[in-house]
Amino acid sequence: MPPAGIWIDGLIQSCIYMTMAFGMVLVFSILGILNWAHGQFYMFGAIVVYYTITAWGIPFPISILISGLLMAGLGISVRKLVIDRVKGDLYVGVATISLIFFFEGAASMLFGMQDRGLSTVLPGVINLASFSISYQKVAVLFFTLVVLVAMYIVLNFTKVGLAIRATAQQPDAASLYGVSVGRLSLIVMGIGCGLAAMAGSIMAPVYAVNPFMGRIPMIMSLLAIVIGGIGSLTGAIAGGLMLGFLNSVIAYYLSYLSEVVLFLLVIFILLVRPQGLFGASLK
Amino acid sequence: MKRTYSIAIILVILGMVFGITLALKPAQAAEPIIIKVGSPTPLSGPAGPWGQIGIPPSQTWLDLFNKEGFKVGNKTYNFQLINVDDMNTPEGGAAAAKKLIYEDKVKFIVSHWSWNFPSVSAVANQAKVIYLCRTGNEAVPGGVYDPKKQPYTVFANPSHEQFISDIFAIAEAFPNYKRIGINDSTLGKGIGWDYVDRELDKAKIRYHHEWYPPGTQDFAPYITRYNEAGCDIIYGAGDVMAAMLITKQRWEMGFKTWRTGTSGGILDPMMYIGVSGMEASQGFMGQYFANWDFKKTKVDPKKIKRCQEVMEIVSKKQGKPYTYTAWIGWFPHHIEILTQAMQKAGTVDDPDAIMKAIRGGTFDTTIGKFTMSGAKTYGSPIVFGTPGCMSQIKGNKEVYLSEHPLTNLP
Repeated sequence: MPPAGIWIDGLIQSCIYMTMAFGMVLVFSILGILNWAHGQFYMFGAIVVYYTITAWGIPFPISILISGLLMAGLGISVRKLVIDRVKGDLYVGVATISLIFFFEGAASMLFGMQDRGLSTVLPGVINLASFSISYQKVAVLFFTLVVLVAMYIVLNFTKVGLAIRATAQQPDAASLYGVSVGRLSLIVMGIGCGLAAMAGSIMAPVYAVNPFMGRIPMIMSLLAIVIGGIGSLTGAIAGGLMLGFLNSVIAYYLSYLSEVVLFLLVIFILLVRPQGLFGASLK
Repeated sequence: MKRTYSIAIILVILGMVFGITLALKPAQAAEPIIIKVGSPTPLSGPAGPWGQIGIPPSQTWLDLFNKEGFKVGNKTYNFQLINVDDMNTPEGGAAAAKKLIYEDKVKFIVSHWSWNFPSVSAVANQAKVIYLCRTGNEAVPGGVYDPKKQPYTVFANPSHEQFISDIFAIAEAFPNYKRIGINDSTLGKGIGWDYVDRELDKAKIRYHHEWYPPGTQDFAPYITRYNEAGCDIIYGAGDVMAAMLITKQRWEMGFKTWRTGTSGGILDPMMYIGVSGMEASQGFMGQYFANWDFKKTKVDPKKIKRCQEVMEIVSKKQGKPYTYTAWIGWFPHHIEILTQAMQKAGTVDDPDAIMKAIRGGTFDTTIGKFTMSGAKTYGSPIVFGTPGCMSQIKGNKEVYLSEHPLTNLP
């Protein structure tokens, strides 16, 4: 049985994959596209937080909100200036893949390529029985809980949430009932990118900040939504949760072979249950 | 008539005075002849910072070197450095080498440390351009290096051999260590590590290997495995981000007495402190090329002075202390080898004669005096030694830790 520290580590990773995957699925549900540059919003979120804290001394929680709002705005701009102007899902995919390299290049020029850290944010550890956990990681747990609760409330108890769920199920019917699908898709794009940015922000003190830090979280959140079921918000959470624990536990037992096993697992799920664990059956 | 003679005599006297003046004027020194050297180096992408950081001191050192220049025969030469981005990829390396050789017309390729050695070597050897680089998987027993196919390649910096030397230096600094945890990303996995393991086994070093997928940021599983293997020192193969995160995460997991470090010079102590935290990064180890601090390897004082001057100039230019020292073991070291080889060979144009002077030759460079291993060892006939000096972070500075010079390659 892996030690407690491995399970805690898995939970931390799950938190980020859940947040990222949730944002991706939200965008997919309304826009019908996968935003391949989702990881770069994670990266920008971390960079924004780095600057708001080190250059302007803005407290960490407010910095996270600022990065979420700014990147929500960038996401809306991407939607209007790029995605809306490209016809065809394939070409939208190509466009968002191109954005990966554009954003990384821009970040490299503006931020530089050297790794930077925010080790001074929430320093220290809590010593528990057989392991320790840093305050930074406790903040990740708390953040994820807040985000999930907030999204639950928004989706289930607000008009916007109702409109999102209606549009995700039946966009034409929702439109007939007066939902402005175009405007809603902008809001959803903003929420999705904002969530990715805030995930990057909360992880900035935990890891190192650099222009290429969004690649792995993007791939992992993609795996999470495949496992959970593309189009299923519950699946995104379940997939993210599973993936974080699996990644940590498998790496503990098999070291670098964890990636191989994870991708084999994804292929297995696609073969046995292509709609994922919580997705609707494909017919 | 008398008047004509007078004018003629005056003109002759004036002519003689003019001629004597010209004869007495010292001959103007001929301009040094420029020899172009190319350096493929990562200037973009994740490895970009490590390529970029070496350019200012290399150019500054060259400017100081060129003030004197060097003589071969009765001609004076200067070097001109041309850097091209190799993007740390095989395609980028080949493209950079082709541009340097065929467009920029460089005579030599130097200072190459990226892992795309084979692609650069293929281009350089085809064009008979002498290529100075570090060793890698290709240069160890069973590797792909073939002196017949790559006769113009010089391993001027040992890589795996230096790593072995680092481990020896660490073991000597901490003789009561339990076990050294060695890590590298799976990108570096190859026969070179088998060779490292053999040498560490021969020296009875206690160690444990871990590999991780490239881009890994969460090292908790690996740190747990190190703990279960009984490690108390973790030393990486050069992935700075991995080293910083291992340093941070092991601290957070409670392994505060462990020492950590990584192969390669410490870029800037503040970078490591920024990511890992002040307390966690204390004692972080790296390779150290500050020749003024060497205790076991002797370096020509003139070369030390020039390196220190470079550090001062670069610090002044960038407006803050410049602390990175690995550049001392690369570009100027390679230029010294080339200069002395050309002087021994008596030519700047004949690569075969220059290579003959390099094989088995002894060279006095910025990192000491070593003899190229002329004998065929590890499949590589030419490898330079290394001072094997280690540093550690103390406070916010980098200080000397220990030294295990690699003079005789095993």
